[in-house]
Amino acid sequence: MYQFVTGPLLWLSFAIFFIGCIVRIICYIRGLDWQADRVAYTTHFSYGIKGAIRSIAFWLFPFGTRSWRNNPVFTVVFFVFHIGLLVTPVFLLAHNIILKERWGFSLWTIPESVADVLAVGVIIAAVFLILRRIALSEVRILTTTYDFLVLAIAVAPFVTGFIAHHIASDYKFWVIVHVICGEIMLIAIPFTKLSHFVLFFMSRAQLGMDYGIKRGGMKGKGFAW
Amino acid sequence: MFKKILFATTASPSCDHAARVAFDTAKRYDSELTAFHVFGIPTRGFSQFARDVRTGETVTLDDDYLGWVKEEMKNTYARQLELHQKCTIEAIPGVPHTEILRAARKKDVDLIIMGSTTREEDEGTYTYRSTTGSTLQAVTKSARCPVLIIGRPVASAWGGFSNIVFGTDFSRAADSAFLFAYKVAKTFGCTLHLFHAYDISSVHSGKIMEQDEIEDNMMEAREKIRKMYVPRLKGFDDYEIDIWEGIPYVEIVKFARENYADLIVMAHHTRKPSSEKALLGSTVEQVVLRATCPVASVNRPDKIKDL
Amino acid sequence: MPEGILCNKKTIDTKEQLDAILADASGNQYYEEMNHLDIDKVALWTTIRKTFKSRFKTWLEICAHCGLCAESCYYYLANNRDPKQVPSYKIKTTLGELIRRKGDVSNAFMQMCMDTAFAKCSCCTRCGVYCPFGIDMGIMFSYLRGLLFSQGFTPWEMKIGSGMHRIYRAQMDVTTEDWVETCEWMEEEWEDDYPGLKIPIDKENADIMYTLNAREPKHYPQDIAEAAVLFHLAGENWTAPSEGWEATSLTMFAGDWPACKMQVENVYAAMKRLKPKRVVGTECGHAYRATVIEGPYWAGIKTGQPPVENLHYVEWVAEVLRTGKLKIDPAKKIKEPVTFQDSCNYVRNAGLADIPREIMSYIAEDFREMKPNREHNFCCGGGGGLNGIGRYREERNIGFKVKRDQILATGAKLVVSPCHNCWDAIRDMEEIYHMGIKWTFLKPLLIDMVEVPEHLKPKEE
Repeated sequence: MYQFVTGPLLWLSFAIFFIGCIVRIICYIRGLDWQADRVAYTTHFSYGIKGAIRSIAFWLFPFGTRSWRNNPVFTVVFFVFHIGLLVTPVFLLAHNIILKERWGFSLWTIPESVADVLAVGVIIAAVFLILRRIALSEVRILTTTYDFLVLAIAVAPFVTGFIAHHIASDYKFWVIVHVICGEIMLIAIPFTKLSHFVLFFMSRAQLGMDYGIKRGGMKGKGFAW
Repeated sequence: MFKKILFATTASPSCDHAARVAFDTAKRYDSELTAFHVFGIPTRGFSQFARDVRTGETVTLDDDYLGWVKEEMKNTYARQLELHQKCTIEAIPGVPHTEILRAARKKDVDLIIMGSTTREEDEGTYTYRSTTGSTLQAVTKSARCPVLIIGRPVASAWGGFSNIVFGTDFSRAADSAFLFAYKVAKTFGCTLHLFHAYDISSVHSGKIMEQDEIEDNMMEAREKIRKMYVPRLKGFDDYEIDIWEGIPYVEIVKFARENYADLIVMAHHTRKPSSEKALLGSTVEQVVLRATCPVASVNRPDKIKDL
Repeated sequence: MPEGILCNKKTIDTKEQLDAILADASGNQYYEEMNHLDIDKVALWTTIRKTFKSRFKTWLEICAHCGLCAESCYYYLANNRDPKQVPSYKIKTTLGELIRRKGDVSNAFMQMCMDTAFAKCSCCTRCGVYCPFGIDMGIMFSYLRGLLFSQGFTPWEMKIGSGMHRIYRAQMDVTTEDWVETCEWMEEEWEDDYPGLKIPIDKENADIMYTLNAREPKHYPQDIAEAAVLFHLAGENWTAPSEGWEATSLTMFAGDWPACKMQVENVYAAMKRLKPKRVVGTECGHAYRATVIEGPYWAGIKTGQPPVENLHYVEWVAEVLRTGKLKIDPAKKIKEPVTFQDSCNYVRNAGLADIPREIMSYIAEDFREMKPNREHNFCCGGGGGLNGIGRYREERNIGFKVKRDQILATGAKLVVSPCHNCWDAIRDMEEIYHMGIKWTFLKPLLIDMVEVPEHLKPKEE
């Protein structure tokens, strides 16, 4: 079982994940229409790229934009959540050992203690996000079960991984659960809201190009996000 | 005398005296009369709304409302309309002075008759005011034809005058006013008072004038009237020259009262005023508000040549 | 399928149709007919399938429902943080639902969409600036307005506006003759004060071609005169076209896309015909957006640029004050506290935030910024055509509260507002909330302030 989930199933999940993401990106770009979107993407590509980079970069930094600064607590939680979500699985020692075993290469790794802190950070942040969804009326009205499901998909690998590593007596069982959860997440990315993994960059780039080309980017100093 | 008259009315009691003069005058000269009411001030941005000038309420500009306004005007002037057939009623939305001037220009009228209202009633007090100054000020400043302003009850229609006061400030615009005053005086065979008020209002700002200086200036003004206007009277000899000193609008009003004036004629030649000055109003406006007789404001020669 | 006499899917292209809808008292019959209007579901879904592409699709799909857009919306703030005013919720329950149901929606739903797209959103696009994903709900609501318009669900005044543009290529019934006549009249009326003042019509190869808002010739011709005076005093070689002078586009607010194209092509034709070096548009926000920012795309110009370089009036003012073509009398600078209303259309959506600051530095001694300002400024509350719509008066007046508080917080007694719609909104705001402020366009301010060169002064009599 362990061999299967970390073998063929893992291959499959990664394949779906990578191909899915690429397809999403291609579909997104193909679905852009300079006239309908009213942005001359190609004619003023250099302005567009400048706007796109600005639009992405400011948002990638905590407190880089007005919106982040206006919501400091959310911003901190948001970044703890997302940094943990991205950094932990990629640079975790255990993952890289498997990587080395299976595919013969590994990446730079983070100390286990850091990984633990990040993982706990993700879990705490997720709890906060759930509470926020329930507590704030402006978020509650938007929230659907789907939002909780997506959150669950994203956090499940962390919870199960943490249990497997630190708590559980039945390590083997929990590790399989953990791997399956991780694979569910990988597969879910292209097909659910988690597609914002790539579409965040697309959407931000698009609006950045809009501002960079049409809405003042060619006249002003660039939009003050 | 007047082929086409535009009676600019607010269709409210404040214009009743003006209405009487307008209809009677039109009847006497068989003139085409347009009773013209600019009833609502539109917004700057796009909308079908207007601010009703009388009630201050926001109204929707549709055929219903337009019809209602016209119907009301017809009722208000029902009696007069019966007596004078050559009269049309028009009601449109707009900024009053703009539309009055536009209509006067388009119809090429020879005379505009307006009622003067007290300040509170004037639409200028609404924040809708789009330019500085009042409707009266804007119309008198820019009209190409004489503007007759009637504030208080007057004995008769146009004519039947015994005394006309022409107040001059020696401007070019006053030339036209003079010509008009002269022609009217000649037509009706009445006394023409050529009057100038020497402005000493500067004393309020601390500038003290010697009596000699004042008297010298008054002598000079008298001389000026002799030179500028008397030769153009062409034998018409029923005229008097008077120079008083003081604040011009006060002196004109006082002079008119003492001489039982039936009409005051003056020019409104002030430049487009800056906002602060405009609120004080022009001399013409001040005279209109205070005088007991009608005031004619004449700035331009266009419409008085053929009088 | 029942179609109303006034409220229907047809566009207004003839004067008879226009007169008929204008004759309807406050749109009573129109709205009554709307209650019975059928939806052409096939056409609606076909349109959606053709136009609802990756940008919108992605926006609706990836919205994380985080609620960060809530506070960006002045309607949310003005309505005591009513969760139903959260932009994401508003678009989700309208456009989102329309897509989910594949256009299979009821009349009541369409009316709810119309009420939301017009009375809960002025398309100021501020929410897009606060969304981490860059989801611009203002743009989506504009799109929704277009879908609604194609099905006949648009407010009475918007239908009229669209008809006006279709018939007169102007937002009001101003014909070429009316317009030229008005210019002549203004020239006559003002040349006493400004000798030599001309409003040159259809002069080719001028440095500047002036475009404006039809409300000016229709109701406020002194605006034209003031513009002419300032060009005259600045010594500009300018002209105004006899055709194609109208730069506004209510069709943009209404969502009548084909008419947007007709309207803007008319202005571009004038630019091509008269070949001016540059075009300056009047103090109007949406005119600039329609003609300069969005227009090229409606007209299908690949560069996204109008045929000739276009300036908003504030850009021209900043330029002539900077270069000294117009000089401000230092004694006449504004002494009282004064603030500036950033129009969404040419500040957030066209990048001109620096320009007004520069102008204010020349003309005001005590300039105070609203907070927030520049690209982050709130809509005046009257944008997106909302000022003109009777059906949504109440909602608009509530929305005003945000701008009211912003203005009051500055302590300014005067608001400089070079946009017809903002100007109107601030006036209405003053009438409703009695704030004790004044508001003005730039032109009348400048006329009072500029030094008239000796050779242009009227000769003393």
